[in-house]
Amino acid sequence: MPRIACCRIPDLPLSAALRADPELKGRPLAIASGPGPRAELVSVSPEAGQKGIRRLDRVAQARTLCSELCVKVASPALENAARQALLDAALSCAPRAALAAPLSGSFAAEAVVFAEASGMEAVFQSERGFATALLERVRRLGFGLGCGPWVTVASSQLVARVAARRFAIRHPEGDRVELLSPRSERAFLASLPLDLLDPGDTVQAALTRFGVRTVRDLLQLPRRALGTRLGPEVLELIACARGEASEAPLPCPTEDRRVEALDLEFAIERLEPLNFVIQGLLSRLLERLEARQLACGEILLRLDLEGGGRDARRIGLAAPSLDLRSLVRLVGHALEKHPPEAPVVGVAVETQGQPLQTDQLDLFRPAGPAPDSLGRTLARLELLCGGGRVGSPREANDHRPHRFEIEPFESRATVRSRKAQCPESGAHPPTAVLAVRALRPPVTAEVRLSGSVPDWIRSGVAHGRVLHLSGPWRITGGWWSPESRFAYDYFDVHTSDGTISRLRFDHISGAWHIDAVYD
Amino acid sequence: MQTARAVEALLRDLGSRLRRGEAAEAARSSHTGRLVTGLGPIDALLGGGFPRGRLCEIAGHPSSGRTSLALSLLAQTTRAGETCALVDGADGFDPSSANAAGVVLEQVLWARAPGWSEALRSTEQLLEAPGFGLVLLDLTLDPRLSRASRMHTPPATWTRLARAAAGSDSALVVLSLARNTGTAAEIVLEMRTTRASFRGSPALLEELETEARLVRHRTAPVERSVRIRLRSPHSSTA
Repeated sequence: MPRIACCRIPDLPLSAALRADPELKGRPLAIASGPGPRAELVSVSPEAGQKGIRRLDRVAQARTLCSELCVKVASPALENAARQALLDAALSCAPRAALAAPLSGSFAAEAVVFAEASGMEAVFQSERGFATALLERVRRLGFGLGCGPWVTVASSQLVARVAARRFAIRHPEGDRVELLSPRSERAFLASLPLDLLDPGDTVQAALTRFGVRTVRDLLQLPRRALGTRLGPEVLELIACARGEASEAPLPCPTEDRRVEALDLEFAIERLEPLNFVIQGLLSRLLERLEARQLACGEILLRLDLEGGGRDARRIGLAAPSLDLRSLVRLVGHALEKHPPEAPVVGVAVETQGQPLQTDQLDLFRPAGPAPDSLGRTLARLELLCGGGRVGSPREANDHRPHRFEIEPFESRATVRSRKAQCPESGAHPPTAVLAVRALRPPVTAEVRLSGSVPDWIRSGVAHGRVLHLSGPWRITGGWWSPESRFAYDYFDVHTSDGTISRLRFDHISGAWHIDAVYD
Repeated sequence: MQTARAVEALLRDLGSRLRRGEAAEAARSSHTGRLVTGLGPIDALLGGGFPRGRLCEIAGHPSSGRTSLALSLLAQTTRAGETCALVDGADGFDPSSANAAGVVLEQVLWARAPGWSEALRSTEQLLEAPGFGLVLLDLTLDPRLSRASRMHTPPATWTRLARAAAGSDSALVVLSLARNTGTAAEIVLEMRTTRASFRGSPALLEELETEARLVRHRTAPVERSVRIRLRSPHSSTA
């Protein structure tokens, strides 16, 4: 018999608002369907409820009851991110999990995630241990501030969900974990009021007319006769009441992209408050990644601009990181460099979760930097040096001199062990080779010729009479494209100031440059 | 007698399995307190190599051989399995040249700092992160810029870096045009070109002979010098 855990947040708009702004906890808070005083309240915190404010009240009406009432406009982006965070919490405990489809009617505000609980005793000691761990992880992702969450474990998604609704009503302040054994499920369902199964309005009205108020009353009626009178909807309801509704098995999601988004109530014009908003989004995003043992690989920042425009930018990282401070500063630098063209009315931060780097230590080799501190260091270095300027150097597959590539720097355990086993690594001669120091960009040189070879040079690097010279060596290429075409004559030149430099004559521009110094 | 022979055979077998003892030897040398350059005279002059947890400086004019010496140190350190960092304030690192010098590029973290202050701050960050055997700070910018920057670098900066190095297991080696680090440095080497050889027909740069002079050492006599020869990558004997 399968076992399914259900984690239920009874009021998602409220929980999402508190998750985004934890300082609102304990204050009278209401979520309105839109801006303005005539908007209806879709969610009300218990503190606001104590002041007499109810759902579907108007904002203006609620403010007359409580002047300190804090009203937030419902944000679909924020709620969607909260749903995804709930899924992340479930997947941090169980291999299979899925979000329940949003409902309409009296349970429209609830958010539910199901997680596979079968076999999880092996990891969490017991089924209760698993349910408690799930509750703890959901709370850690910012859902511990509002009403809920409740976690129940039963044999099917439906029973677990109904049980979560029931226990939220029966024990609003008590134990938030409940386990239903397969034997007791039928009896449990029978005692429930019918509206917990969320029947459609038509069916519920008809059943109320028949005097059917509990699941037990429903199961006592003839199934076929009810189906004939009320249609297939009631047959589904009876299947649910018996715990026999067909359910698809829980999937094993593989999507690693995560989004935290926020619709702003007021347009933001300055970068400082925008950075503050982004910091909150990144913080929540990193919490989700950390729960899944992932790190932030790359940031995609999307800004909705006033007037309907959009601004999207990709911010690459030298290595996956969970360091909030560095990431916030990286995003801040990117925004300072190219500020948005109009006030911002919506922000979304998306990232690709990447596995946290691990390192296998070697018995005979130095340990090297630990992957977590390395990620943090790389993020800070990139902040100082700029994007794409930190990494591991590589020779480029290009015959032009001084071409290079930078690859992401990673933990080098594999490389170390490979190099250690490679016999040629120990066979390299220990004598020093004269190194070349590149000049980027090349330094312009003024050259006096004697015949066709340089005789005297003046530049910022080398200056004086040419004492020794070798060359020229001609390097040409890229002739098929006017942009990449090059033709150089290279000379190794020893000038009277003691410098040995690599002088080149550019046949295309007709200019002399020094692009490297032997050092 | 038989047992002794069996133990001997077992040890031989284990030795070959554990990479014939090469890795163990490398590990032993890398865990000593000094990083060798692989150039005998220089290592002898320094008393065994560049010390870990200390700030050292290699100063010299262009073509004095300081980059070759630094790459030789980088090559020896990376080949011993250490991870190294190069903070390139001059943006002059040439991966092809480093590869020719025997540097294991995969074990080098290259930070191309856009300016002097960024290079110093990046170095501090790297010294705070444990696990780098060598942090090489290259400040050999073009001569005019280097002099101007030197005037604006307070001595406290070098003291701070020396302290950061002392708190880590890394050797911090600064490459510069002229002495910058003052009394914060444990060792200062000054490099000077003595001879450049162009030989053959057509003439090719064959080798560069340079002199390394020890101008500061906290625990050894100074004003000693050695000469080393640096082979050109184009040389016929390379």
